[in-house]
Amino acid sequence: MILLQEIIHQLYFLMSAAVAVLLVGRLFRRKTRPGLAYDIVYAYALIPFVLRALHIK
Amino acid sequence: MSQAQGERRAAATGGSGARRLLARRLGLLAAAFLLMIVGTRDIRALRADRETVVVSEALTRRVPLSTYFDGIRGTLMDAPVFLFDSGVPGGSVLILAGTHAYEPASPVMAYVVMENIAVTKGRVFVIPRANPSASRLGMLGNAYPPFFRVKTPWGEKRYRIGDRETHPLEQWPDPFTFVHYPSRQNLAYQDSRNMNRTFPGRPDGNLTERASYAVSELIRRERIDMTIDVHEASMGYPVVSTYVCHERAEDMCMMAAMVLSAEQFPMKTETSPKSLRGLTHREVGDYTQSFAVLMETPEPFIDKFVGPMTEELMLTGRDEFMQTAADRGLLYADYDIKTGATLDYRVGRHLAGAAEVIRQMGEFHPEKRIEASWPGYADIMKHGVGFYLHDPSKADARRVFVN
Repeated sequence: MILLQEIIHQLYFLMSAAVAVLLVGRLFRRKTRPGLAYDIVYAYALIPFVLRALHIK
Repeated sequence: MSQAQGERRAAATGGSGARRLLARRLGLLAAAFLLMIVGTRDIRALRADRETVVVSEALTRRVPLSTYFDGIRGTLMDAPVFLFDSGVPGGSVLILAGTHAYEPASPVMAYVVMENIAVTKGRVFVIPRANPSASRLGMLGNAYPPFFRVKTPWGEKRYRIGDRETHPLEQWPDPFTFVHYPSRQNLAYQDSRNMNRTFPGRPDGNLTERASYAVSELIRRERIDMTIDVHEASMGYPVVSTYVCHERAEDMCMMAAMVLSAEQFPMKTETSPKSLRGLTHREVGDYTQSFAVLMETPEPFIDKFVGPMTEELMLTGRDEFMQTAADRGLLYADYDIKTGATLDYRVGRHLAGAAEVIRQMGEFHPEKRIEASWPGYADIMKHGVGFYLHDPSKADARRVFVN
């Protein structure tokens, strides 16, 4: 039970890291919407996922 | 413009456009990381903070809470337990502070006890931060400062304010509904991280339940006669300025409240409702041999209708909206903005409240008598809390602990 809880808990960190990597990838390589506004959105949206993956917030 | 168009344009401009695009995106990524570093300065400071305590010479032993239940070892919930043992047979008491970290008169009261206690009969256990994880989190949406500072004769001492519940970095995700063990009562989802809703705890439960179980194990194994869970309450909450006691402890609490009300400050008493599950005053009484007592002081800082939640409000308790509520008869305790509800007042109340109910246990059960002393209400109101906190830099290193 405790092991299962811990696996689920750690999965959330892994998912955060995966989303962060995805966003960084999309920031630099995407086929649509290359404008500045979208660059800012991708860079800004990255923040909560990195903070969670790094166990900061 | 599509990626293909961008690439064509970059090719047409000899690659300088692509370089500019890459530089812009790298710049934005750097800006995002800069924002993360600057914007989380307080969050990181709170998470890494350590509180220092200069314990009295009466300290016998300091052990981690995991001594009583291994299931929390290596986690942030493995709180230190301090024992002050007179070596003379008598009763034993556990002062459980910081169950709700955002009620800081509770850990400060525990620190004042630990720094000044003398014991001549019985044993006194103190846990100053029962939920260390919660003390390293700010409450979402409340926009209050991470720390407050207490003035002392040798400088300022800093303490964390914290949150009510265990940090999600330690325990996540929350369930849709928290089912309390063993009563199976349905509670709000966030109560799965609320230490005062997870007693008596369970060994294979979530982290907060396991920490509660470790405290219950301590109480059972050390044969603690009385457990005093120290809290603060909003003034719009009926049990403010109150002892809430398990029915086995109600006689002692009633006597203590009468004595305090007659001699020092207004104090009420209430018997723990049997249908309110997960709280120490119910579950510690039901699942251990200990007399379970919970104490509440008035803390305007955590009321929902006060003005800005500043360090000054935490320390003075003075707020004009609180006064308006008092004028309209909406509060459950007396309030005057001229005196407010200072940290000194709240800590002094807890010190006297704990001393009196322990004394009453000795009156009702002479074999459980404890002779322990620490500063009282009048001492704190005269000199202030800071007067009783010692300078770690000048203290004997063997008495200095980083909590």
